[in-house]
Parts: sequence; C-alpha cells; structure tokens
Amino acid sequence: MTKRKTTKTSTEELDVLEAHLAGTLQPVAPSKEIVQRLRVRIQMPNREEIVSRLGDWYRLFFVFGGVISGMMLLLTVARAFYYLTGRKG
Amino acid sequence: MADPEFNEEEILALASQGDRDSFGQLYERYVERIFNYVYYRTGNLHDAEDLTARVFQRAMNHIQKYTDRGVPFSAWLYRIAHNLVANWHRDRSRKQEIPLDDLPILPTKGDHPEKNLVRSQEQEALLRMIRKLPSERQNLLILKFVENMSNAEIGAIMGRSEGAVKSLYHRTLLALRDQLEDQNLNLEGE
Repeated sequence: MTKRKTTKTSTEELDVLEAHLAGTLQPVAPSKEIVQRLRVRIQMPNREEIVSRLGDWYRLFFVFGGVISGMMLLLTVARAFYYLTGRKG
Repeated sequence: MADPEFNEEEILALASQGDRDSFGQLYERYVERIFNYVYYRTGNLHDAEDLTARVFQRAMNHIQKYTDRGVPFSAWLYRIAHNLVANWHRDRSRKQEIPLDDLPILPTKGDHPEKNLVRSQEQEALLRMIRKLPSERQNLLILKFVENMSNAEIGAIMGRSEGAVKSLYHRTLLALRDQLEDQNLNLEGE
C-alpha cells in the first residue's frame, strides 16, 4: 500500500481494482473435517425442524384426536368388562 | 465444471420425494460454494460452518417447495444462504467491522498453501472496505469473484436483470475506488 503517486485514467484504475479484487476474493476450501461435520449435522433433525413440527397444528390435531379416541376405547372396553364380570358375580 | 454423470433434474426429483442419498449428492456438489459465500459474508469459520449447516437443513426441509421456474437450484440455495446471513447480521444487531483476526486464511483452491499464509496489507485493506459496503454489493462481489459467476447467474440469485447487475457492479467499483482515494491509498498494478 503506497501513497498515491501517479494519475491513472479511470478505466486503468478500475482495471487495477478488479485485478486486486480477484486476488483478494479467492475461493476457499473448507477442511474435510468441516465438510464431514456438516454432513453429519444435516442428517439429524435440527431444532428448527422440531419447533416446526410442534407448530404443525394439523398433525397435532390428529395426534391429540388419536390419543383421546384410544383412551375412550380403553374406557369403554374396561366398563363393558366390569359390567360383564359384575353380572356374573 | 459440468459433471456429465450428474443429472440435477433427476436428482432434484428424487430429493424432493425425501430421498436422502439424492440430497446428499446435492450437498456434495454445493457445500463448498455455499460455505465460501457464507464465510466471506460472516468473516469467521465458526459461524460460516453453522450457517452452512442451516442452509442445507432448511433446503432439505423445504425441497418439496422448490420448483424449477427458470431459477436454478443453486440460486435457490444462495437465496436461503442470503436470508440466513441477513438474519445473522440482524441478530448481532450492530454493524460490525470484522477484525482481521476473525478472517482466518484458508487455503485457496489450486494454490500452494504457503502462498496463502500471508494476506497482503492491500488485501486486508480491500477486505475491510468490502465489508463496509451495503449487503447487496458485498453479495455481488463475492458471487462474481469467489464464485466466479456471470452477471446473468448473479442476476438469477439477486432477482435482478443482467443489465442491472452490470450497472450495480460498475457503481460498486466506483464506490470502492472513491473510498481508496478518500483514504489516499493507491493499489499498485499487478
């Protein structure tokens, strides 16, 4: 980096600037460890996904409905069993 | 570099049906490019790794929503990356100048590693200036120089026409040149 010494034309200045940008903004190569860690990470459900599942009201409705229906069925069977065995007794 | 064996359309179709192996192929193809983009936008390895993972997680979760309407899959990925980086900057809630210590030198492709250990003063100054540019100008420079994209490809990602990208690029160069002049610095011709 030096103090400005010469007067260049605008086009020359931009050409030089472009050359320096090309030299500075080089593609980098992430290490194999980083690539591997990332690969492992994307195989697992992340926090966002879990939160989005919880926010899925449609699915939650069916899960909740399924649980309640199951409980009602169990209760009905238990009551039927109780009355059947009660009659026999 | 086009890989004749890699049929992106077919792989995308399988990936959108939940095929993880196909998504894995997309990951292999794009992970370095997305990492590069995020790395230059954030300036540190840790956040670059974290955000790159989130880009692919989000892409995997929403790949059914991707439909090829003239926007390539890579552009879709870059848009996700752009949004996540924007959120990351917002979360930090302060306009920061990344300390140079936070911008470690990673080996660049195709060069001898020892060549990359020292980033010249000129490059450091230029990086500082780039980081002070508005977000979309930073995007443009990264996509053009790091990702080596054409104006048309950049336009597809940024949602601008090729001409608009060309014009923005010219204005960005002028702005950088003016900043160099303001600081009374002169980049030597290479």
